[in-house]
Amino acid sequence: MPTRARPGPVHVVGLSCTPLLPEQDAVLDELVFDAVSAALSECALRKADVGLSVLASMDVPDGRSISSGLTTAAAAGYLSDSYRLEADSGSAVAAAAQAVAAGDVEVAVAVGVHNPEHHATDDAGRRAFLEQLSNLAFEPAFDRPVGMTAQAVYGMQAAHAIRASGVTLQDLAELSAAAITRGAAGRRPGRRSPVTAAEVLASAPVAWPLLDLMFPAPLTGAAAVVLASPARAARLLGRSAVVTGTGQATGDHTWTGDWLTRPEATTARAAADAYRNAALTDPASSVDVVELSAPTPALHGPYLRALGLSGLPPARVSPSGGLAGGHAGLANGIVRLLEAVEWLETHEPRGRAVVHSVDTVTGTVSEEATVAVVEGV
Amino acid sequence: MAQRAAVVGVGITDATSPRKQTRSHVELCQDAVWAAVEHAGISPADLDAVVVGNIDGFEGTVLGGKHVTRLLGLGPHLPMVVLNTGGTTGGNLMQVAARMVRAGTHDRVLCLGGPTFFGVRDLQSAINTNSPMIVEQPLGMGGFHMGAFAASAYQARHGTTVQDLASVVVADHRKASANPHAHLRYTLTETEVVEGTPLSSPLTQPMVCPVSTSAAAMVVASEGVARSRTSPAALIRAMGTSSDPYLGGGKGDFAVMENLAALARRVYALADVRDPRSEFDVVEVFAPYVHMQPMQLEALGFCGPGEGIDLIRSGATDAGGDLPTNLSGGPKCTNAGVAGELAPYAYTALQVMGDAPESIQVPGARTGLAHGTGGSFFQFENLAVFSRLDPQEQS
Amino acid sequence: MTSPLTQTVHWDLTYDVHLGSTWGRFMQGLREQKILANSCPECSRTFVPPQAYCEACFVRTQEWTELPAEGDLEVFTVVWQGFTGGPTPPYAVGGIRLAGADTLLMHVVTGLDFTDPATVREQLPHGSRVRAVWAAERTGQILDISHFEPAG
Ligand SMILES: [Zn+2]
Repeated sequence: MPTRARPGPVHVVGLSCTPLLPEQDAVLDELVFDAVSAALSECALRKADVGLSVLASMDVPDGRSISSGLTTAAAAGYLSDSYRLEADSGSAVAAAAQAVAAGDVEVAVAVGVHNPEHHATDDAGRRAFLEQLSNLAFEPAFDRPVGMTAQAVYGMQAAHAIRASGVTLQDLAELSAAAITRGAAGRRPGRRSPVTAAEVLASAPVAWPLLDLMFPAPLTGAAAVVLASPARAARLLGRSAVVTGTGQATGDHTWTGDWLTRPEATTARAAADAYRNAALTDPASSVDVVELSAPTPALHGPYLRALGLSGLPPARVSPSGGLAGGHAGLANGIVRLLEAVEWLETHEPRGRAVVHSVDTVTGTVSEEATVAVVEGV
Repeated sequence: MAQRAAVVGVGITDATSPRKQTRSHVELCQDAVWAAVEHAGISPADLDAVVVGNIDGFEGTVLGGKHVTRLLGLGPHLPMVVLNTGGTTGGNLMQVAARMVRAGTHDRVLCLGGPTFFGVRDLQSAINTNSPMIVEQPLGMGGFHMGAFAASAYQARHGTTVQDLASVVVADHRKASANPHAHLRYTLTETEVVEGTPLSSPLTQPMVCPVSTSAAAMVVASEGVARSRTSPAALIRAMGTSSDPYLGGGKGDFAVMENLAALARRVYALADVRDPRSEFDVVEVFAPYVHMQPMQLEALGFCGPGEGIDLIRSGATDAGGDLPTNLSGGPKCTNAGVAGELAPYAYTALQVMGDAPESIQVPGARTGLAHGTGGSFFQFENLAVFSRLDPQEQS
Repeated sequence: MTSPLTQTVHWDLTYDVHLGSTWGRFMQGLREQKILANSCPECSRTFVPPQAYCEACFVRTQEWTELPAEGDLEVFTVVWQGFTGGPTPPYAVGGIRLAGADTLLMHVVTGLDFTDPATVREQLPHGSRVRAVWAAERTGQILDISHFEPAG
């Protein structure tokens, strides 16, 4: 591999998120419009300033094939460059950043939206629908007929971790309780009350050994970020953060078993890519905070190790509570970026954050991981 | 550091109907990918990422592209990006790959478009789910009905007859008959087209694309990689996409492709194209319905409003004409979904590389234009301008 | 040729599609035999069906108005071959410009004689006047307007 020059830095100038709720009485494009227009307002930019919009959403929860037909104009894509990835919005951020780094556009927008076209009265009903969609995303000849879903994968991975690594269900419950409690005091609480490990352990079984409070509450909403070249950002008000590197990786298929025994491998590859692009050689000593996306507590440790950040104090690992409070589907990547940038603004205006996101469509199978390195300026 | 991007390898499989196809979805993708990798003169280990397209609901698996890619023998760890923008998915694969390369983070990215329409039992009912539900779909408006609107409006504006439309079909079939990869390789007469089964006025069955099975793949690489080859590459000189709103009723004039005309101006400016008619040696447009090709030729600035059919009838767009267009036969004769959408890009790149199938190669082609369109009422458009990039002089 | 080996894969998904307040208000209007539109405060375009935002100016829409249930037929197609779950062909679908609207309202159009496919275009020339016929039972959906028929 020839040594590649680093991509240029890309500034974060606007960031916004709609309220994250269990269900929203809104058409998808209205949520996208709300997030994008609020993010543009933050930096006093208008639609005409946007060179490229990258949208993250998925047809099946959206209830329409080619659902981007509905949402693209709301992402500021009317008569301009835009496309839609069926991926977590972390990938949309990476794609938008690439367009700026390439010198193709001065301002790019990335937005993720998630509001499944399904009405349910409780989390169990919401999850049942998402699980049905998850099953449809599994391999059709072998995996789908036997009932593979994201929750089944997460359950198996947790069971394996308990057996193989010595972590106990009590440990997992404590991780979940601490994160939910932290998130309940945060700006976007998916679960509003603190809980104890005992309450986590007493919650309903979902996918053995995992329990209800070990899974994120299903949330909906849209989140958007406005990125700009350094030259353009210098003339803008708004957020003051720089994405110095992004990395992406995709996990292995069902039958290799990496998803079970090495669930951290995908995140590790994304991190290596991001750190190389950001020229970050020693993350352990130079990162102040990480916004981690662990869909279950059994993935918390593996993901953190994969990022090389196991040494961070617990208060600096997903100070927002991470996914323990709730998960807004493919909007998650930008929600995590927002939480990280807000933390830097409040605690370390010149600090460095790592933002991690995964999609949860098929659990750790074929998982897509993105990592971004973000610095306050 | 920012760099230029070029297409260095293309793979296109032969197409046939789903009924006659003996290869599976995965096998077709494998054929296309390995052909592209071989054409690029690289090995799979050299790839930095894959950009793959799928259209959920048209395929048996949600995010079908993700599954297929892991079965191609490219290694288990290649990063993958899944793209879905309907009919522009194919062309947008290249735009996303090109941006990855242009940003400097990637040197060789594979684009893969599979046989999206392979396997669905009732394709029209799948396509109908992208007709705007709630306000338009309940009216009985599905896939080709959305297409027929523009055909009908174009007729009303220019007095175009059904025979006029049929002449475009005849030309497409004549071209497809020379392309070894095409699906419908038989020729037709205007009368046969006019007397075909009526679908949605004014469209008859022969005026609408077939359901084909085939796959297409391309390798997009940095200029450095491209120049180190021993044969020409296809430099991506300019590219862009444009979108109209969702509802059919918000698209302004159905008789004119305003969205495409606006995009063409933007992309031509990027490529410094001043006189498109004389500057392009070869053009491939995505025209699955008959009226689209003349309307696109007009929007792309090759002729005036209402003159598209005359341009096609004049022979200018045939092999040997001054504006060879859709020498592949276009999607009218071969449409396998994302593979069919990637095809205009793949054929145009091949043409400027000098590597198109001999029977359709435009001698000495150096500059080409590729196009894609899709979404509800064809609300999305994409374009790219390619130029031949010669290898660096070996000292 | 041996027949290919296939397996049947079926999706069974039922959706509850969110209408939101903008389309919700429009649908409520239909129950009351009113066609409601809204407008962009910057470019003043009037949208029917209404939009929550203007895609060009990228601002929220305001200003609701009721449009006449009559307009000009700008485009239509006769569907000879329909689709699973759709209406029985032949039927005609058209784009109607209601007075004061900057968008087209799509709807079913009646009054055509379908016997000869070659004559359908001439039967309803561009700009023919059509008017909404309301369904007897209205439940807040687009087919609360049963169809549009030639006016006059
Ligand atoms: Zn406006």
